[in-house]
Amino acid sequence: MEKEEKREFIETIHFFRRRINLAGFLSKLVSALFVGAGVGILFQAAAFALPFYHAGLYTALAILLAAATALAAAALRRCSVKEAALVMDGFGFKERIVTAYEHLDEEGDLVVLQRRDAMQQLQAHRGRIRIRVLPAAGKLAVLGVMLLTLPVLALIPSEVKDRAEELWLLKKEAKEKVEEIKEVLEGLEDLEEQAGQELTEEQLAAMREMMESLRSSISEYQQAASLEAMAAAGAKLDFKYGDMAEQMSRLAAGLQGNPAVSLPSAQAVGEMARRLQSMSGIPEPGNGGLVADGGNGSGSGDGTGDGSGGGDGSGDGTGGGNGGGSGDGNGDGSGDGTGDGSGGGSGDGNGGGNGNGSGDGTGDGSGNGSGGGNGDGSGNGSGTGDGSGDGSGNGSGGGTGGRGEGSGSAPYDYVSVPNAVADSGNLTGSAVDHENSDYFRAQNGLSWEGEHVSHDAVIGSYEKKAYEGISSGRYPEGMEEVIKGYFSGF
Amino acid sequence: MSELDKSRLRDAAYMAERIAACEKEIQKGIIGQREIIRQVMLALLTGGNVLLEGMPGLGKTRLVSTISKVFELPFKRIQFTPDLMPGDVTGTNVIVKNETGSGFSFQRGPIFASLILADEINRATPKTQSALLEAMQEHTVTVGNDSHLLEEPFFVLATQNPIENEGTYPLPEAQLDRFMFKILVRFPDKEELKGIVTLTEKAQEAVIEKCMDGQGLLAARSLVNEIPIADAVMDYLLDIVMETHAGNPYIREGASPRAAQAMIRASRAKAFLEGRFNVAFQDVEEVAYPVLRHRIIPSFDAVSEGVGEEEIIRRILETVKPKI
Repeated sequence: MEKEEKREFIETIHFFRRRINLAGFLSKLVSALFVGAGVGILFQAAAFALPFYHAGLYTALAILLAAATALAAAALRRCSVKEAALVMDGFGFKERIVTAYEHLDEEGDLVVLQRRDAMQQLQAHRGRIRIRVLPAAGKLAVLGVMLLTLPVLALIPSEVKDRAEELWLLKKEAKEKVEEIKEVLEGLEDLEEQAGQELTEEQLAAMREMMESLRSSISEYQQAASLEAMAAAGAKLDFKYGDMAEQMSRLAAGLQGNPAVSLPSAQAVGEMARRLQSMSGIPEPGNGGLVADGGNGSGSGDGTGDGSGGGDGSGDGTGGGNGGGSGDGNGDGSGDGTGDGSGGGSGDGNGGGNGNGSGDGTGDGSGNGSGGGNGDGSGNGSGTGDGSGDGSGNGSGGGTGGRGEGSGSAPYDYVSVPNAVADSGNLTGSAVDHENSDYFRAQNGLSWEGEHVSHDAVIGSYEKKAYEGISSGRYPEGMEEVIKGYFSGF
Repeated sequence: MSELDKSRLRDAAYMAERIAACEKEIQKGIIGQREIIRQVMLALLTGGNVLLEGMPGLGKTRLVSTISKVFELPFKRIQFTPDLMPGDVTGTNVIVKNETGSGFSFQRGPIFASLILADEINRATPKTQSALLEAMQEHTVTVGNDSHLLEEPFFVLATQNPIENEGTYPLPEAQLDRFMFKILVRFPDKEELKGIVTLTEKAQEAVIEKCMDGQGLLAARSLVNEIPIADAVMDYLLDIVMETHAGNPYIREGASPRAAQAMIRASRAKAFLEGRFNVAFQDVEEVAYPVLRHRIIPSFDAVSEGVGEEEIIRRILETVKPKI
């Protein structure tokens, strides 16, 4: 009998304990949802003022987090049997139930008397214990309104939301691009590591320059805050890829057949060139043979001259130059030039491949040909021709053959803007005093970093080309001394 | 459960009923002052001593004499005066001559009774007051080299007048701590006064009947000590005592561990008097005032702000809540 009474007593406490725990959970859930919905409303409201693309997602997360917190709190802070007994005592039992529960296994006189008293009281007044499971209706109604407000706010369109979506897409694209660039960078770094010892210092410097250029692209993507900036960065990157692909192809071509370079290294460079080519958005040639064997250039010059000896004489000279490049693939480059007098010409190259070639024409000529992978190549041909003529009188004729020059069409045309211009903030010293001036690198708007070339190197490069032009007769007669004077003035 | 156990349970229930009947009987001789009677009953049930503070003529002596009648206990009244000597309270050795010769014989003082009314205790010198200390705490009296046991139950009910401070010796803290309760006897309201006048001015006084003897009281006391207390209730009780120490700005010295013991016993007795065999939070709350009011010493801040012991205890009870 006693055991049966005890069992019933404990079962009664457990019954109320379950109700207390359920009530506690619902209460915590409602409170947590209040917080979650409040935070969600703040997110949704913020999305009208700030570009906050993930407001909806964060709102859902806030509510889920609130619900999970409530669940965890309810699980962790579950009411024990003793606590349940105490709560039950709060309904006028004056701690009879908890005292009886705590001393359930004891058998002292007063303990037994107390237990009986507690059980009798519980049986007689069980109806007094009213554990309210559901939270107050008013509270639930307010919560319902708050929860309904959330989708309404989310569905109201606004310009800020559109802008937020646009920015998010930009960031996503930028992130993808950055990842892509990092992969290329890693490839280049691996390549440097693999073939570093077999490449010349110049080749390595060129490769490092490529890596530096890619790093600046990463920075551009990370800083891009508008569609325009993203588009500019993308265009620059494509150009860089194309440029790098070209450089890498040339490097690969140079390495082929070079006994100092191992085959795997050459293949790795070639592979990197193909990879860059594919990333540049420019289609590869059919066979994929970007590596040019070399260009063949030919130049031809015809000269006719009317000499004048004793009589009248006039001479015209015509010169023609042909420049051609041939690729290993199916690309060929050819350039035709016709020179007339001072020479001038144009040519179109077809096919891919890069090549440098020189050829001889009927006169003297040299040609350069280069081709790109998209089937458009450019060929430069120059030719000089000497002519001779006969006059009806006596005379001698002389002529210079023309120089043929061709240029291919390229898909992009960019201007690299230097970092420091004149007396800008990045320049120290005087801009016109090349020996006592210096500048430092900085990201410069939409352009990308230019190569740091010393003043002397620039002047030297121009001077060298000028003298080459003089020797090849590129300039009008009489200008040679002027050009020489100009450069000697530096 | 054996038959013997069942009978003991019946005894316990019966005892609770008898105690309740005693309380009612006391109320026949004392009009009003129900709270005072209840608190004195609590002290009786736990073997504690009581300090009554109130104006003269509020029925303090009558209360003690009524209790003695109800429990049929020997009752002595000691009027404390400045010239009262310790020997006047405890008794003394006197020279006795008989056939065998002469010698010292201990002459028992008035303290050798079950119910002692120490009237206006603060009028005696500290030396005489301290003569009560041993009797109140140990229930023994030592004179010379001999210790004499006091008969159980032993109960001291002391009074003091809060107004006339001239020529008084305030009780030291050590002695105050030995009083289980300090009960404030308030002036009766008009209805109660009418009842008092009617009762006392009748030709025949109300007949107070004996409800229980001293042995019954001791048996009830042992039952009270067995009343179980739930952990939560015990924690609450201890929290209240600890709160008198927890940097309370209004308390210079907090309650002693004896205060916690007194609260436990008094709470049990209160539950017993109400026919319960467990202690409730409410029991603890109600006994906190008489147990703590003479055991906490207000700080200068409290005195300067006019915050008394009652207010301090009220604030403590507001601060400390049962952990449910």
